[in-house]
Amino acid sequence: MKLDPSFIWTAFVQILSAIPTTLYITVVSVLAGFVIGIVVALIRIYRTPGLYPLAVGYVTFIRGTPMLTHLLLIYFGLPMIIDGLAVQFGWSFRSVSIPMIGFAYIAFSITAGAYMSEVVRSGLLAVDRGQIEAAHSIGMSTPQALRRIVFPQALAASLPNLSNSVIGMLHGSTLAFTVSVVDINAQAQIVASTNWKFFEAYLAAALIFWGLTFLIERATALIEKRINLYNRGGVA
Amino acid sequence: MIKLEHISKSFGRHQVLNNIDLKVSKGEVVVILGPSGSGKTTLLRCVNYLEKPSGGEISIGEFKLDCRHARKKDIHQLRQKTAMVFQQYNLFRHKTALENVMEGLLIVKKLPKEAAREKSIALLEKVGLGAKLDAYPSQLSGGQQQRVGIARALALEPEVILFDEPTSALDPELVGEVLEVIRKIAKEGITMIVVTHEMGFARDVANHVVFMDGGVIVEEGTPSEVFNHPREERTKQFLKRITPELNYSI
Repeated sequence: MKLDPSFIWTAFVQILSAIPTTLYITVVSVLAGFVIGIVVALIRIYRTPGLYPLAVGYVTFIRGTPMLTHLLLIYFGLPMIIDGLAVQFGWSFRSVSIPMIGFAYIAFSITAGAYMSEVVRSGLLAVDRGQIEAAHSIGMSTPQALRRIVFPQALAASLPNLSNSVIGMLHGSTLAFTVSVVDINAQAQIVASTNWKFFEAYLAAALIFWGLTFLIERATALIEKRINLYNRGGVA
Repeated sequence: MIKLEHISKSFGRHQVLNNIDLKVSKGEVVVILGPSGSGKTTLLRCVNYLEKPSGGEISIGEFKLDCRHARKKDIHQLRQKTAMVFQQYNLFRHKTALENVMEGLLIVKKLPKEAAREKSIALLEKVGLGAKLDAYPSQLSGGQQQRVGIARALALEPEVILFDEPTSALDPELVGEVLEVIRKIAKEGITMIVVTHEMGFARDVANHVVFMDGGVIVEEGTPSEVFNHPREERTKQFLKRITPELNYSI
């Protein structure tokens, strides 16, 4: 069998249609994961009674199990719960009406949340205690101090790690094919299934992933430049 | 007038402050001296509740706060009446000098932006930084940063400004410019409590000197009383070590 360069291009064009699906999964899981991450990080830093062990358990369990497992657990477990509740309370809603991609959104948000909570936590810990003390000393409340003083600095400190997480979720989103979601990788497989030119198709998919990752890296660099205008310290 | 009554603070089993009483009249400059570990910084931090006292009462004018039953609202009110200048400056690192001073006016005092800006510029000019409005803390020297810190504290027009070793982190060369600014605002009749090791400054500027050791006030009085005629043995010892003997003959 010989390489068919022209099919790489054909596959490339046909795979483009799956980019939105991959991006949806990535963006939803990153945004939801970020919100979960902030909440979990704050619970862990402030050791909120009652919630603290839950937060710690969540992070260790999710980080201790593969992303694929989360997806499968949600895919098989969630319908059982929903349908069980539906019968109990007489809802007309059934789990079959959940779109497949919905399972990916939920499962990957849970995955991203655990990883991102550590990213956010490290960012928050990087902010000097004196900053929040200064905010308190001028009469700001803790929520005001967090929002206006601590979070912007924590975000700047955790930006490289955040970008890592986004890239990780982009690549991890390929696992969605296991629940019949047609993302970039699944589309490559479909494109090649007629002529068995899998190598060419996956090569095209690889180029697309690389391109998307490159864009994320560029965007991060731009944000970093803006955000770190004040930051002349560190080793740089 | 500011009154501290029976202020105590312990970290675990270690008692840092033991039943401290202190009165500061309006417009007075009180300097707290003492060896490290004597509790002077902790006392200062208790006054604006960065450290929660284990017991005692803090009153500022009509306002009174019982440290055993302090509610969030009380603490918030106390902090609005006090401002702190930190040893490590603690300027907001992601904000310019001007934004650092404006922050409290905008967020806490709810001033309109233009008014906050005008007032902040005036204050920064007063501390000699009219040319550095848009500089970030990382672009300023220690002395300049500390002067921004003082402007930030002044902006809130607090009843009292607390200075926590404001010159201890500075190069010897930069100490002068910061002390000059503090001296200037002391003359304007702003009430201050200053923890410092600058004896010359304490002698010149203070109306009242407090010497602390081991979590208690050992001795207090006018600068001339404490510096020239200390009564307590511990005070004499401390002053001897910190101010070199000058009455020698050649």
